[in-house]
Amino acid sequence: MRLIDYFIYALTVFVRHKMRTALLLLALSMGVASVIILTTIGEGARHFIHQEFSAMGSDLLIILPGKKETQGGAPPINGASPRDLTIDDVNALKTINSIDQIAPIIAGTALIRFGNKSREVITMGSTTPFFALRNMRLGEGRLLPDNADSHHSPVIILGSKVKQELFGAENALGEWLNVGDFRFRVIGVLEERGESLGLDLRDMAVIGVRSAEMVFDSPALFRVILKLKYAGSEHYTEQQVRSIIASRHEGEDDVTFISQDAMMSAFDNVMLMVTMVLGAIAAISLIVAGVLIMNVTYISVAQRKHEIGLLKAIGATAKQVKTIFVIEALILAIIGSAFGLLGAIALIELATTIWSNFYLAAPFWAIFAACSTALVVSLLFSLVPAKKAAQLDPIIALRSK
Amino acid sequence: MNFFDQIQWVFKVLWAYRLRSALTVVGFAVGIASVTLLTALGEGMRQFIMEEFTQFGSRIVAITPGKTETYGLGGLLNTTRPLTLDDAESLQRITTVEFVVPVVFGSGQVKSETRSRYVDIAGVAGRADKAWKINVAQGRFLPTDNWQQPRAFAVLGSQLKQELFGHASALGQTVTIAQSRFVIVGVMESKGEFLGTNLDELIYIPAQKALQLFNRSSLMEIDVFYKPQVSAEQIAATISKRLIDRHGMEDFTLVTQDAMLKSLDNILSIVKWVAAGLSSIALIVGGVGILTVFSISVAERKQEIGLLQALGMNGNQMQRLFLAEAITLALVGALAGYVMVTMPLLLVTFWMPSFPFEAEFLVFVGAMILSAIIGALSGIQPARQAANLAPIEALRDE
Repeated sequence: MRLIDYFIYALTVFVRHKMRTALLLLALSMGVASVIILTTIGEGARHFIHQEFSAMGSDLLIILPGKKETQGGAPPINGASPRDLTIDDVNALKTINSIDQIAPIIAGTALIRFGNKSREVITMGSTTPFFALRNMRLGEGRLLPDNADSHHSPVIILGSKVKQELFGAENALGEWLNVGDFRFRVIGVLEERGESLGLDLRDMAVIGVRSAEMVFDSPALFRVILKLKYAGSEHYTEQQVRSIIASRHEGEDDVTFISQDAMMSAFDNVMLMVTMVLGAIAAISLIVAGVLIMNVTYISVAQRKHEIGLLKAIGATAKQVKTIFVIEALILAIIGSAFGLLGAIALIELATTIWSNFYLAAPFWAIFAACSTALVVSLLFSLVPAKKAAQLDPIIALRSK
Repeated sequence: MNFFDQIQWVFKVLWAYRLRSALTVVGFAVGIASVTLLTALGEGMRQFIMEEFTQFGSRIVAITPGKTETYGLGGLLNTTRPLTLDDAESLQRITTVEFVVPVVFGSGQVKSETRSRYVDIAGVAGRADKAWKINVAQGRFLPTDNWQQPRAFAVLGSQLKQELFGHASALGQTVTIAQSRFVIVGVMESKGEFLGTNLDELIYIPAQKALQLFNRSSLMEIDVFYKPQVSAEQIAATISKRLIDRHGMEDFTLVTQDAMLKSLDNILSIVKWVAAGLSSIALIVGGVGILTVFSISVAERKQEIGLLQALGMNGNQMQRLFLAEAITLALVGALAGYVMVTMPLLLVTFWMPSFPFEAEFLVFVGAMILSAIIGALSGIQPARQAANLAPIEALRDE
């Protein structure tokens, strides 16, 4: 019997039992499709986080004041340390040759008032490079003056939502408003953009770092962000920063570094694991489909006893009979996978047209894993009943009606 | 045919085709098992996390400076409208308040005479040990007197004590944080980690000293523990009014433990049900299995159906018989799947009582009902097919 004969034989069986074949295909394709769709969603989320991070460039380092020697704990995010990290410290760091841009940040919440309207807003004190580092663009107006790290100037840049709340549709540029107890003039409004890593860029304001020192009455920096000139110089830069800080802080390098890469890969690992778990949950349905294939093959063997007896009587070997049933199951798996794949891709395409800003694409490894799981499951579950068919005694088989 | 006869009939048929019945049950059971397992794990995780959060009691209101709700970041940032120790002291005077803990967190270098270590520094007040349910192992906790001019006392976490003093006694010794000397009056019991902060590597100092140390005017948080006779809403209103009277406006954020727990609980429940929903894909595939096997059965048992109809059974009864078969299969499958998961997990919880697993009776009932529905849905089409067979045709088969 040639391979093509097996195929033709299987096809005639499928045509004879249309309903049963259709249901088996439905079960298999549901399993394959759910594996692909769930992993695609997981991958989409991972890609989204990736995008958020790489929008800011992958060669960023963040310096936090204070340090902890406890292993494995969270970094000292509260930013309070007996020895402050100051603007002068940051200015001293500018001499390091591997730093491209560096921005000190003083962050606080301040009450911003205009006329009779007021709003509590997260106010960041920083310098011009901050905008480039956090990938923020101006909708109108101009950026902070270049001497923001040495002089206070009463100018403020508003997030789009703050501007909307305080000024409505009116022009905000050039208007004076109050930040805490100080007066500032609006020189710019940020471009409308959503949330970025937990900070709502619409609901915030930026002032010069020296001005923030004054408004919040504290020289302590909350964070320092810096961008490296060359990728891969994190280690060198960290050492340089530590030695400069130590020379300025009575011999103590009391700062903590967070690198963009480390943060990203931590997120990456978590998301990858979530994706895997989702895929595994969906794969359970493939096993259920496999049990169904086994069941139907058993039934099929029982119903076709007569036919098997006939085949054996005209010289078919046990192996050939076994192959007949296994190939049937494999063809089902292939067609089922194809349908499942098509269904999944159609759904994903539909989803991308509806939510166009969320990247969705079936990962290649998931397609491969889903289809090969379907094949392996079908093969394994059809082997047992196929063996039973192969071992039928032709005389007894022929005698059955 | 009465009900009992029907049941007997169904079981006889299922037994006659035991191989295919067993395989159908196995397929369905795998589906139910995955649903049960995931909801159990989800519920276990939810309870574990909730316990983490409720260990400090539930009669707590947390107040942070600034009105914007920025994921609890509000307290860490600078603010132009500080929450002061005076505010905390005035809340202490409310009659329905049991006690108040002002909180300032930071990190810094703690030096003993010979050693030093960078750790977290918690600026608090007396009774913080009661609030956070950490017991004092040696000595006592910070005194509850005068918050404005506290004595320079400090209490060490158990691990920090080991780091700085080894096995020697730490009580009465002094440590230095940024040139300020503190006398150690107590050492805490080991407590482990909470939300990424190792509570054993922590030094507790009076809040006022911490404000000085970190050069801040504002507390990061005020935790108010209230008496059981008032509700969360009532105490929140009282506190709001008191602070607004003092500040002239609402420039703080107030979160009751109740509200926080409720939203946390919601999120965790959603996670749990999503997991259950995803795993029920397998259940649906199991349903397709029942449908497949039944449509084959109807075709095979044409003669039997014809005979029954010839004996006077009407279409309705016939349909009911096949539906009962499908539902029975589904229910047996559900039971098998539930036992398949629950037994091993119960054994696990027997050996490891802390394992986050919670078998819910509700899930069991839900799984059974869901299975019955899926069984009925997948049985309906073959059952109809059987009912509509013409008896003559059916009898003539074969």
